[in-house]
Amino acid sequence: MKLLACLSQTWGIARPCIVVCAGTLTVGAGAPSATQNPGAKTHTVTIEGMRFNPQTLTVRRGDRVVWINRDLFPHTATATSKAFDSRSISPNVSWAYRARTVGEFDYGCTFHPTMRARLVVEPRAKAPITRTNRAGPLR
Amino acid sequence: MKPRYAPCAAALALLTAAAWAETTQVTDPQIAAIVVTANQVDIAAGELARAKGHSKEVKDFAQRMITDHSGVNKSATELVQKLHVTPESNPTSESLKRGGDENLAALKKLRGSAFDKAYIEHEVAYHQSVIDALDKTLIPSAQNAELKALLVKVRPAFVAHLESAKQIQSSLGKM
Repeated sequence: MKLLACLSQTWGIARPCIVVCAGTLTVGAGAPSATQNPGAKTHTVTIEGMRFNPQTLTVRRGDRVVWINRDLFPHTATATSKAFDSRSISPNVSWAYRARTVGEFDYGCTFHPTMRARLVVEPRAKAPITRTNRAGPLR
Repeated sequence: MKPRYAPCAAALALLTAAAWAETTQVTDPQIAAIVVTANQVDIAAGELARAKGHSKEVKDFAQRMITDHSGVNKSATELVQKLHVTPESNPTSESLKRGGDENLAALKKLRGSAFDKAYIEHEVAYHQSVIDALDKTLIPSAQNAELKALLVKVRPAFVAHLESAKQIQSSLGKM
C-alpha cells in the first residue's frame, strides 16, 4: 500500500498536498489538470543529506513544485518571505506547492538553519505562433 | 573549577572513544552498536536540555537533537534487523555510554546559563568526535554496503548539528 493519506488544503497562494507513504514514496496528486493550468509542469526538489537539490529551481508561474524528504528526520521548505511554508515534512513524505506568484524566493528549513535554497518563479511565456494557431490574413 | 568546564571529562571520554575507533578495525556488529549508542547518548542529553535548558535556542536545539537522532536510530535499528546483525558492545560503544552518563551527571548539577553553556560545549565536542569517527573508522570499516550507505547518509546531519552548536556556543559566549 503506497498511499495512506492525502491532505490537500488551500493556504493563500499555496496549495500544499502532503502524501504519507509506506515503502515507496509516491508524489501527491500527479500532474495538474490541463484545463486548470494549461502547460503547467511539475518539478521536484529532493531533500537529502541536509540539502535541497537543486539548490536553485526556476519554474514558470502556475507550475507545481514537489519537495520530497529523503532524509531520516523531518525538514521544512519555508520561504523567508513566508510566501510558502510546508510545515514539517516527515521522512519519505512529499509536499507540493503551486507557484502562483512571480519572483525569487529564498527558502530554507526552519529546523536546520544551515539548509538554504532558492525558488525562482518566472512569468509564463506567451505561446509561440505556430501553424495551428496562426490567425491568417486580416479580413 | 568553573561550572562551565564540568562536562569536560565526558567530552574527553568521547574523544578517547573516537581515538580508539580510529586506530582499531571495527566489525559491522560493532559499528551498529556504536551508531545506536552514539544516538542514544545525544537523545538522553537532549531530553535533559529540553527540560532544564535556559534559553529558547538551547531548548530548540535540544528538541532538534532528539528528533533527528531518533530518526537516525530508527533507520539504523530497522537496517540491522533487516541485515540480521546483532549490535556488539565494544570499547567505543562502552566509552560513549560512560561519557554520556558522566555528561548527564555533570549537567544535572548545573542550571541557568551555566547549564546551557555546558550542554552546548559538550554537543560541540560530541559531534566533532562522531564526525571524526565516521570519517576515519566507521565509514571505511563498514563491510555491508547498506550499512556504509547509512553512515554516509547521516554524516551531513552531524556536520549541520556541529555548525549549529558552534553558532549557539558563540552567541551564548556574548551574553
